[in-house]
Amino acid sequence: MGRIIGIDLGTTNSLVAVLEADGPRVLRDPETGAVLLPSAVAFLPEGRVVVGAAARALAAEHPFDTILSVKRFMGLGAEHVTDEDRRRYRIVPDAKGPVRFAVGGRELTPPEISAYILRELRRWAEAALGEPVGQAVITVPAYFNDSQRQATKDAGRLAGLEVLRLVNEPTAASLAYGLDKQDEGVIAVYDLGGGTFDVSILKLTAGVFQVLATNGDTRLGGDDFDERLAAVLLAHVPENVRARPDVRAAARASAEWAKRALSDCDWAEAQLDVPSAGIHLRRALTRAEFEDLVRDIVERTSAPCRQALRDAGISARDVRQVVAVGGSTRVPLVRAHMDALFGRPPLVDIDPDQVVALGAGIQAGILSGGRRDMLLLDVVPLSLGIETMGGVFTRLIDRNTTIPASVKETFTTAVDNQTSVDIHVLQGERELAADNRSLARFKIPITPLPAGVARLEVTFLVDANGILSVTATDLRTGRERSIEVKPSYGLTEEEIERMLEESIDHAEEDVRQRQVQEARVDADVILSATRESLRTNARLLEAGEGERIRAAVAALEAARAGEDHLAIRDAVDALSRETEPFARRIMDESIKAALADRRVEDL
Amino acid sequence: MQAAEARQRECWRCRAATAAALVCPACGTVQPAAPDADLFAMLGLPRRLAIDAEDLERRYHAASRAVHPDRFQTADPRERGLSLAASAAVNRAYRTLRDPAALGRYWLELHGTPLGENNNQVPPTLAAEVFAVQEKLEELRAAPDDAAVRAEVRVLRDELAERLEAMNARLLEGAERATTDALAALKHRLSEAAYLRTLLGDVDATLAEETRGTHHRH
Repeated sequence: MGRIIGIDLGTTNSLVAVLEADGPRVLRDPETGAVLLPSAVAFLPEGRVVVGAAARALAAEHPFDTILSVKRFMGLGAEHVTDEDRRRYRIVPDAKGPVRFAVGGRELTPPEISAYILRELRRWAEAALGEPVGQAVITVPAYFNDSQRQATKDAGRLAGLEVLRLVNEPTAASLAYGLDKQDEGVIAVYDLGGGTFDVSILKLTAGVFQVLATNGDTRLGGDDFDERLAAVLLAHVPENVRARPDVRAAARASAEWAKRALSDCDWAEAQLDVPSAGIHLRRALTRAEFEDLVRDIVERTSAPCRQALRDAGISARDVRQVVAVGGSTRVPLVRAHMDALFGRPPLVDIDPDQVVALGAGIQAGILSGGRRDMLLLDVVPLSLGIETMGGVFTRLIDRNTTIPASVKETFTTAVDNQTSVDIHVLQGERELAADNRSLARFKIPITPLPAGVARLEVTFLVDANGILSVTATDLRTGRERSIEVKPSYGLTEEEIERMLEESIDHAEEDVRQRQVQEARVDADVILSATRESLRTNARLLEAGEGERIRAAVAALEAARAGEDHLAIRDAVDALSRETEPFARRIMDESIKAALADRRVEDL
Repeated sequence: MQAAEARQRECWRCRAATAAALVCPACGTVQPAAPDADLFAMLGLPRRLAIDAEDLERRYHAASRAVHPDRFQTADPRERGLSLAASAAVNRAYRTLRDPAALGRYWLELHGTPLGENNNQVPPTLAAEVFAVQEKLEELRAAPDDAAVRAEVRVLRDELAERLEAMNARLLEGAERATTDALAALKHRLSEAAYLRTLLGDVDATLAEETRGTHHRH
């Protein structure tokens, strides 16, 4: 079945890693050697899709058709999308279920777009390992809810990967840090990525990594820093072009560059050049100015940290180590804030961009039986419950409950001859159902009986991925009941099946195109060699041979213009046969010439 | 009778005798939960309220290592399902046994007198105190910027937290013998503690809310 790979599917960048005998290792782009794959996907005309650095470079030119930070939209519905996002992308309005992007003439959901990123990482891994890969561990923000997790799992499936486990990012990071050290005690992981913030409090005991509490904000990250800086740059731009998507995209890119520069220097000059809008801007920025701009964003990480400590039942003093994860923890202000929150400077030994992927690689190793000494015990980040009478949210599984977790509830009917029980499952911490995030509606058939007689035992089970499943038993008959699941913001089973079929069609299309491309390359090689020989060695041609070769060249050029790779290959073979005696004569000539030279030298 | 049933259990795969073990001692296969297993038995403990926290954690980790789904990734679907169920059960056992309030409630259940869900009435022994706290909270909600009131609420909060801690420490006292009187007393203490916990939650929520409010204004 091949190796299990560990994937960090990040908001800004994604990585892939495996566990080797001497530890985890990130895998590289076989062409460029890069370890970070920018999480960008561009949809170009004629169905062409570009992923990674090339896609990110297209963002300014094709702002609507280049999706950056698709992770921010995982598991969300159209109603959760901000106005800024609506200006930035073409989002299909009033669509039911998951968000849909109108890109390159298609309507695609976040899992479908993420699948392009996962397929690219899979390609990297297969090239690095030299074998097919079909199974993966994928990391998710600890604070991801059920819909967001399910969406991530769906993305893996669409990319042809069996997702064996979703691991929380801070927990994965703790695995990477705890691997070599026989550390015991409580650690805090502060994970500020491009678009999400997580904090987890873990207790390490003899190889057991037990998460005590987790908290976070799935819409808080380094992207917000960029937005603030971009706004500063845009303030210098004439108002009539300020809202232009290409101008905004260029401003964001420039802001991101300046942010990075200001992590190392006290001063940086941001450049914004958009010739088509007449913009050639230079703006000096100091670190102090940047810090004032983003201080309140950094401050927003405090409340989740305090809540996590409270939920874990410990104080900041009990924390033995603080681990910095995510590229945004490179910002000095963020590090200072961590120091202030936990009373000690953070550990930064492992590259904060790679630590989650390395942890994912370790978890992949644990699942394949490679590290039986380590065990991860994670928690559910948000309380799970159902809607009960009067729109009240009744909790069934509290937040920070160790997973797997299950709870059984008995339901009965309210009216005579009721044929089904409807259960609305939600996730969140608020008292009213309407204030929490709707996950799914379950319809469970039940034997029609007088009200209150039928009894249904429903089991809610959260698995080790933090994903909920529901089973039901009719207590009168002891029979399992089938359940119809309507995910509120997710893909239905039928939709996934359809997408998989489409992607297989696309895969065939992709293979065909590659074959045509390769055949054309071979055609070009022989064509240019033949032309060169005809030009320089015409005197070696026999009677009529030149005409026959030119005819074969013409036939190959015609085939090359077509889309049939077999026809191209046939024409290549025909030309090769026709030129073979000619080529032999040229070869003989050159050998004779070489020998003649030798003789001269020998003399 | 129960013990006899447990002794008769055998591994569904290799037919070795398993008693109430989570995994077969002979072949390591995960077993379905014994129908008569209580949460104590799940972690190999006698049915007693006196539990050593460190020993409990060791047993929990050992049981998790034995049944966690991470260990059965390549197993057949039946065993994967059993591992999931056993792991959830082990987690529930640990969650219940390590927390005096949860253990107290479970103890009442085991003895056929569950606490019930609706405990919103103020226990008479706490009435005066609850009234004082509620009044102070109202004051803070009315004047969120009043530093003096905020400080007073903080003092009340710490007193409540201390009181709850003290209560938790002797929550299960005398309930080991499970006489009618002992169980009734346990019930009373559990209600009191539950009420204090809710009240403390209210105080924390109010304090946090007002802090956020102050930030917005700046």
